[in-house]
Amino acid sequence: MSKHLALFGFALPLALWLLPLALLPLVATGRRRHAVPAVAAAPPDALARWIGATLTLAGVAAIAGLVLGLAEPYRVGERVTRIGIGAQVSMLIDRSGSMNETFAGRQPSGAEESKAAASRRLLAGFVGEREHDLFAVTAFSTAPMLVLPMTDRHEAVRAAIAAIDRPGLDYTNVARGLAMALSQFGTDSGISRALLFISDGAAVIDPRVQDQLRADFAKIRPNLYWLFLRTKGSPSIQDRPEGEDTPQAAPERHLDLFFRSLGIPYRAFEAEGPQAVADAIARIEALERDPIPYTEVRPRRDLTGWAYGLAALGLAVLVLAALAEADMSARRRVERPAEDAPLRRAA
Amino acid sequence: MSAALPLARNLRAPRFLALALALALAGAALVVPAVPFTRTGAKLLAVIDITGSMNVRDYARDGRPESRLDRAKAALRRLVAELPCGSRVALGLFTERRPFLLFEPIETCGDFAPLDGTLASLDWRMAWEGDSRVAAGLYRAIDMAAGLGTDLVFVTDGQESPPLPGGEPPAFEGKPGAVRGLIVGAGGYALSPIPRYDDRGREKGFYGEADVPQENRFGPPPADAETREGYNPRNAPFGSAAAQGTEHLSSVREPYLKRLAAATGLAYAHLDGPDDLERPVRAAATPRALPGALDLRPVLGGMALAMVLATLGAGRADALRRRLPRILSPSEKT
Repeated sequence: MSKHLALFGFALPLALWLLPLALLPLVATGRRRHAVPAVAAAPPDALARWIGATLTLAGVAAIAGLVLGLAEPYRVGERVTRIGIGAQVSMLIDRSGSMNETFAGRQPSGAEESKAAASRRLLAGFVGEREHDLFAVTAFSTAPMLVLPMTDRHEAVRAAIAAIDRPGLDYTNVARGLAMALSQFGTDSGISRALLFISDGAAVIDPRVQDQLRADFAKIRPNLYWLFLRTKGSPSIQDRPEGEDTPQAAPERHLDLFFRSLGIPYRAFEAEGPQAVADAIARIEALERDPIPYTEVRPRRDLTGWAYGLAALGLAVLVLAALAEADMSARRRVERPAEDAPLRRAA
Repeated sequence: MSAALPLARNLRAPRFLALALALALAGAALVVPAVPFTRTGAKLLAVIDITGSMNVRDYARDGRPESRLDRAKAALRRLVAELPCGSRVALGLFTERRPFLLFEPIETCGDFAPLDGTLASLDWRMAWEGDSRVAAGLYRAIDMAAGLGTDLVFVTDGQESPPLPGGEPPAFEGKPGAVRGLIVGAGGYALSPIPRYDDRGREKGFYGEADVPQENRFGPPPADAETREGYNPRNAPFGSAAAQGTEHLSSVREPYLKRLAAATGLAYAHLDGPDDLERPVRAAATPRALPGALDLRPVLGGMALAMVLATLGAGRADALRRRLPRILSPSEKT
């Protein structure tokens, strides 16, 4: 019972204090009162009693309906699981200073776009393409920053993406950013999850943190996409360094190796220009196109109309009654009513 | 029987009219759409200081100490919840010497959940550097607000770290008052110790006097340097003694913040309770016309209810009126 009650709420619960007024029709009547010499003189009339009860009930319904209407009842929003196209996408965006340079490694000028501006433009199109996608945005440089928690409000996500081509901060600290981006996935199971990692460089992941990250990836198992915005002339993910092959010498390659070793679906996209970024995003979108169960949060439903409907129904009965009311006093104006007759409800 | 009904009389009876009006009002409440009208809302850029001194626990909530950052977060969350729908809020972090924009203005009702979620998860660990150059950060935040076309709410305790050379903030080069807004001073008025954290983010005590720079010794020495002990123009222009002071303790630097506010044309308010922000923000922010919707149903329903109660009351009063004269003075006409 309480479970069912929990489905309903009131926007203005204070108005419910007026609800006792609905009992008024039980003790007062809006109909004409007539003094009759003796109530006992009237024959018992089942129909009259029914009509009286109906009118009282209509009065109760009218007042209760109006008071409930004032309190604005609603049915609380609920979560319904459906099948649709969409995914939980956690975006991890590099905000280090180099993101503000072009793909050629220069300061943007004229028609040239910075890497941040290109990703901003292309990601803004990606968000909202499919209405059931959920997005979370995490930024990182030296420290990870939670920009937006997982949400279906695409307008807000676009506002967060609009901020990514502002001047960036210092360095690239991937490990903590990855940990925070992973923590953005909720505990809901059965939802397709994608971690979209956008950076123009990599950094060494501390071996101590590696184990923790491995455990987190194994637990959450997202599809991992690394969109590597490569500056022209800088090493590619595949390039082996000339000398010793250490994470310090080739952080990109070793981050890629680390991702490969996680045992989760992983793809790296190397983009050397805005067009390559657009292609990569289109491919990610195509890959995340499986039908997946998603949770639809139904907004709360306003039930105020029902309350006013109830009130209108009760009022309609009362109005008809008022219209069809007999007026015995008109007749009795000639006869003079008996002064000491007890007043009773005429019904 | 129906022929005997005094229809015409009933139609004119006040009770019928009142009930019919109530019915019409209830019916109108069923169908009337929300009326569009214009309200005043706000468009804000909230920049929140997440430097170390904001971790000072000099507020109390439910008898437990609460850090300035937590109080500021609570106040901003309350503010966002109280702003009229259609208001927009952008959020930035301040540390080092500049604000970092997390997102451009977001609508506070429809997108309340992500906005509130972000505010709730603000953490000092998001800081990318340890410095706290408040004046520089404030000036840049003003520029940022101008770029976004918003007003500014800048929450800070005003503690410059490292201390300003000579205690003088850099000059404000913008036009004072071009961006409206509010500086919110967070923190108590008494000095409190600043918690200290290790490189894994665990608290490990408080800053001591020797742990933080007590005086800015870059640039030219202050005017009183010559009177200092051990002063030597070449070898010890700041004197020979180690600087002493209370920079390792923190309180809200209200006079300094008020000075910055006066120089930049912003208002100043001190942050006390978590619901303290709404009024000063409304006073300081540019009122912005927002399309709103007015729900007429409560008015219609209230009037209908009054009508129904009046008919009941009239019936009651009628009965009383008929009885009362008899009780009080039978001859008196009412």
